[in-house]
Amino acid sequence: MASVALSEAEKVYIMHGVQEDLRVDGRGCEDYRCVEVETDVVSNTSGSARVKLGHTDILVGVKAEMGTPKLEKPNEGYLEFFVDCSANATPDFEGRGGDDLGTEIANTLYRIFNNKSSVDLKTLCISPREHCWVLYVDVLLLECDGNLFDAISIAVKAALFNTRIPRVRVLEDEEGSKDIELSDDPYDCIRLSVENVPCIVTLCKIGYRHVVDATLQEEACSLASLLVSVTSKGVVTCLRKVGKGSLDPESIFEMMETSKRVGKVLHASLQSVLHKEESLGPKRQKVGFLG
Amino acid sequence: MLKSKTFLKKTRAGGVLKIVREHYLRDDIGCGAVGCTACGGAHEGPALEPQPQDPASSLCPQPHYLLPDTNVLLHQIDVLEDPAIRNVIVLQTVLQEVRNRSAPVYKRIRDVTNNQEKHFYTFTNEHHRETYVEQEQGENANDRNDRAIRVAAKWYNEHLKKMSTDNQLQVIFITNDRKNKEKAVEEGIPAFTCEEYVKSLTANPELIDRLACLSEEGNEIESGKIIFSEHLPLSKLQQGIKSGTYLQGTFRASRENYLEATVWIHGDNEENKEIILQGLKHLNRAIHEDIVAVELLPKSQWVAPSSVVLHDEGQNEDDVEKEEEREQMLKTAVSEKMLKPTGRVVGIIKRNWRPYCGMLSKSDIKESRRHLFTPADKRIPRIRIETRQASTLEGRRIIVAIDGWPRNSRYPNGHFVKNLGDVGEKETETEVLLLEHDVPHQPFSQAVLSFLPKMPWSITEKDMKNREDLRHLCICSVDPPGCTDIDDALHCRELENGNLEVGVHIADVSHFIRPGNALDQESARRGTTVYLCEKRIDMVPELLSSNLCSLKCDVDRLAFSCIWEMNHSAEILKTKFTKSVINSKASLTYAEAQLRIDSANMRDNITTSLRGLNKLAKILKKKRIEKGALTLSSPEVRFHMDSETHDPIDLQTKELRETNSMVEEFMLLANISVAKKIYEEFSEHALLRKHPAPPPSNYEILVKAARSRNLEIKTDTAKSLAESLDRAESPTFPYLNTLLRILATRCMMQAVYFCSGMDNDFHHYGLASPIYTHFTSPIRRYADVIVHRLLAVAIGADCTYPELTDKHKLADICKNLNYRHKMAQYAQRASVAFHTQLFFKSKGIVSEEAYILFVRKNAIVVLIPKYGLEGTVFFEEKDKPNPRLIYDDEIPSLKIEDTVFHVFDKVKVKIMLDSSNLQHQKIRMSLVEPQIPGISIPPDDISNMNLNGPQKKKMKFEK
Repeated sequence: MASVALSEAEKVYIMHGVQEDLRVDGRGCEDYRCVEVETDVVSNTSGSARVKLGHTDILVGVKAEMGTPKLEKPNEGYLEFFVDCSANATPDFEGRGGDDLGTEIANTLYRIFNNKSSVDLKTLCISPREHCWVLYVDVLLLECDGNLFDAISIAVKAALFNTRIPRVRVLEDEEGSKDIELSDDPYDCIRLSVENVPCIVTLCKIGYRHVVDATLQEEACSLASLLVSVTSKGVVTCLRKVGKGSLDPESIFEMMETSKRVGKVLHASLQSVLHKEESLGPKRQKVGFLG
Repeated sequence: MLKSKTFLKKTRAGGVLKIVREHYLRDDIGCGAVGCTACGGAHEGPALEPQPQDPASSLCPQPHYLLPDTNVLLHQIDVLEDPAIRNVIVLQTVLQEVRNRSAPVYKRIRDVTNNQEKHFYTFTNEHHRETYVEQEQGENANDRNDRAIRVAAKWYNEHLKKMSTDNQLQVIFITNDRKNKEKAVEEGIPAFTCEEYVKSLTANPELIDRLACLSEEGNEIESGKIIFSEHLPLSKLQQGIKSGTYLQGTFRASRENYLEATVWIHGDNEENKEIILQGLKHLNRAIHEDIVAVELLPKSQWVAPSSVVLHDEGQNEDDVEKEEEREQMLKTAVSEKMLKPTGRVVGIIKRNWRPYCGMLSKSDIKESRRHLFTPADKRIPRIRIETRQASTLEGRRIIVAIDGWPRNSRYPNGHFVKNLGDVGEKETETEVLLLEHDVPHQPFSQAVLSFLPKMPWSITEKDMKNREDLRHLCICSVDPPGCTDIDDALHCRELENGNLEVGVHIADVSHFIRPGNALDQESARRGTTVYLCEKRIDMVPELLSSNLCSLKCDVDRLAFSCIWEMNHSAEILKTKFTKSVINSKASLTYAEAQLRIDSANMRDNITTSLRGLNKLAKILKKKRIEKGALTLSSPEVRFHMDSETHDPIDLQTKELRETNSMVEEFMLLANISVAKKIYEEFSEHALLRKHPAPPPSNYEILVKAARSRNLEIKTDTAKSLAESLDRAESPTFPYLNTLLRILATRCMMQAVYFCSGMDNDFHHYGLASPIYTHFTSPIRRYADVIVHRLLAVAIGADCTYPELTDKHKLADICKNLNYRHKMAQYAQRASVAFHTQLFFKSKGIVSEEAYILFVRKNAIVVLIPKYGLEGTVFFEEKDKPNPRLIYDDEIPSLKIEDTVFHVFDKVKVKIMLDSSNLQHQKIRMSLVEPQIPGISIPPDDISNMNLNGPQKKKMKFEK
């Protein structure tokens, strides 16, 4: 993972600051940095979003393609995740350097979506056992400035919100042979409900306290952190510890409480931003990469 | 400004793709009106007139431009093409829709917009910043396009107002869509339907005739009863075809019986290749050449092809019951094995309508504006048209286009397009037969002519590269008299080693026609030169066909030579191909050449050369016949034309001399040699010609006919057929052999061009050659030009080009050539038929001996050897009691009263021109001998027959 080298004195400075609930950039322990979200940035995807969190820069594209449902879930569609770490972010990702991180993030995404409530997969089914929509969620990591997981999860949620899947009808004739018909109105499409799509809140243990949305410098001071995926209602869907240090159960409990609290706020503000953008309609001036 | 257009597309594999295209909007697109300052003026190409002086319209007196929508353009193109309609704005939206829906109309509209006189302007509204519209929610593509058109119309009106305040210029929106018109009027755009507008053009009343009459869906139910069942929608048809309940095929109407048709099923499935349709309801409004979907009927309803000849004569369209009665007539008891798969049309996949030539059958009711139009092609049903100029159009050849065929109408609806001229006029009739057979006959365009060599032309140093100088050889050409496009010449000389050197020299057309240029494309499109009785439609411009390529005597000409070394028993020892320069020493006719060979005292070089060729040719012919080549016969006629009026004054069957077969023999040899060479060199993309062996069932009629004369014809192989034909002689009936050969010709399949990489059966059945191509007539056949190019590449005399080695392109060329050749043949036959009529018109009524070729249920087909003329003698006439007819299909024979007719029986017939039907003036034959009371007519009693004048009273069909 991308990292910075800090001197011992710098680390102590950060740790002491956290102790006093005052971080290097002036935030409190439970404050996020400023998040920028823009959807519909890549026109040839079904849905896309770009999220900037500090200098962490994430682009997510969702592409809907037709496929066959998985055997064990004949009347559901499914999601596929792929994370690409661009060498733009750090020279370490050059060549196959980013693969390990990419796989790790993709696996985490699989885990947080691996439950019935996060996305209603049944709406992705076209005809049981034969056709369903497969959503390919491609994450592109453009710049790293700490707290990758949170930024990615926000971007994924925004992209899913933006996703428009063309509505198709299955025509069946007397012989039972099926044909798929595409609606000729491009506005006629399915929207996913992102109500229960969770976001990840990463809590970094620094000294005796934990902080949300750690910068690269803060991550360098932390030995262990906890990824908690929370829905907008505060339900924890997944928990994962990263880093080589250990956490005592009491602080884990404390961190979960924090994450629920922070997560709810995060969801609420994300939702309101997305709706606000949506209400501007197609006339919205797109910022994209020129902004 | 950049916009992106997004749309969804279903892929063939069933996936759904989202496609995003960049779309640029500009603000520098001009409105097309000359002198418009706002747009900066300078418009290249055709533009609108600043002050249109259009024919006065009572609806819109001030000057105006027209702006038609897509459907108007698609259906009323005939009106728009009229010189009276000018200053039309064609929107890009409209043009694109037209292109997607009908390629022919698109081409026509392009031609019109390119015509400076018409002042049509194409406005690229889709790229104009102010007229571009995006599809809105809940709007389908059609609605969007309609809106785009309205937005453009509105923009125009506002724009023109800006031009100058006193300007009265307006843009009038023409649409036939009621809702669209209402919306336009709401938005303040002056809009009319096409009909309203055209009717308001008081100065041009004839335009109304050209309006396509399209009945709206709603009107259908109220008027009259429904005759036909509904056509199924395309999606249902496609599903049905996929699942096999319906079959897709090309609809071919019968020439002889308007109630019968066959459908050729597409695909490789051998059984059910051909399906019979019988009865008006089962034909269900399909028209010749349409692609249709048919449903097979249960076996219990299968029928046999009827041998009745039936023409649609009904004047009144409500005689549907009568029709049913007629249909019953077709269904006669037949043996089980005669039954063929029978079906009915359930839907039309693709209409193949084109404008049809024909004549007006004026309605009996005076002042009626609805008339029936009878096409010249008997396979096309009669068409109802509306016209006010019926009296001027009567007796003229006209062109009519079909607009539609409602379910409650006995005939399709159409509209008048063009007047060709008086019936019977030679020019008119030639025009008709060229149009009917789709023969491209316009003069060559300037673009094509620009690729001709500049005159005076001479052979240059550069031309001599890769070329052998054969000017010293004693070469001569032998052709029919009056031939100006000489494409072959021959020579033969003895070599020092005692062997013979034989050369066939073919005009080097591919030297002048370079691949890919306009000249090449035009000749590829024409495919072949068409020879009519008094006219030749050239494949290449005259400068080439009659001068630079023609191997005339005493001038240096470029040639492609095929030179063999042979021994005296005509075995080929060496073959050489080379490009060359020759200088023909003599252009002979067949008769002249024959004379030289026969006269013993002529010993010059040319004559010895001819004698050598003739000797070898005889040996070659013998060898070929031993291998099983067929000698077939077809009666060919030649007209002696009056040199001034070009009327035929005499008619004679073609005479065949030894020299004909001499030239033919060497051409065959050259073709076979070249075929081998190009196939060896290009196994995947050689252009070859094959003649498939006919299926045994084709021979049935020949075998039966011969059996009735106690002769046996074997048809298992070409060789046994040739031998049994040779043996089939009758001492008392010398003409029998020729008749049998004529009949055998009718059993044959059509020879076709093909690309060697696309097929694996190369055999030429008629010539008994394993491989064959066409090399020897590049002036008049495009196939030969391709073969020349292939051969030139093979011997390194010319360079290749990509299309030459693309087998799919070659296959396309072959397809076009085969079609053009077939059509050229039909046109030739039609031309002969027309001249035969002219001949008999001047000759009056004659009696001649004839032989029966076929026996039909109610008629016999006879051949008159003297004129090589074929005709049908009918035994059922409308206004006479029907005689007792007994038809036996097995022998076959027809018994009338007490006289029995067999194939090959000798009869005597009276020939006269029947002008009772002006459209199809035809040679009419009636029986003179043997005498059958009530049927045959006495030889001298012709005065009571009123044939040369339209019958005043149409007799009703009685049974």
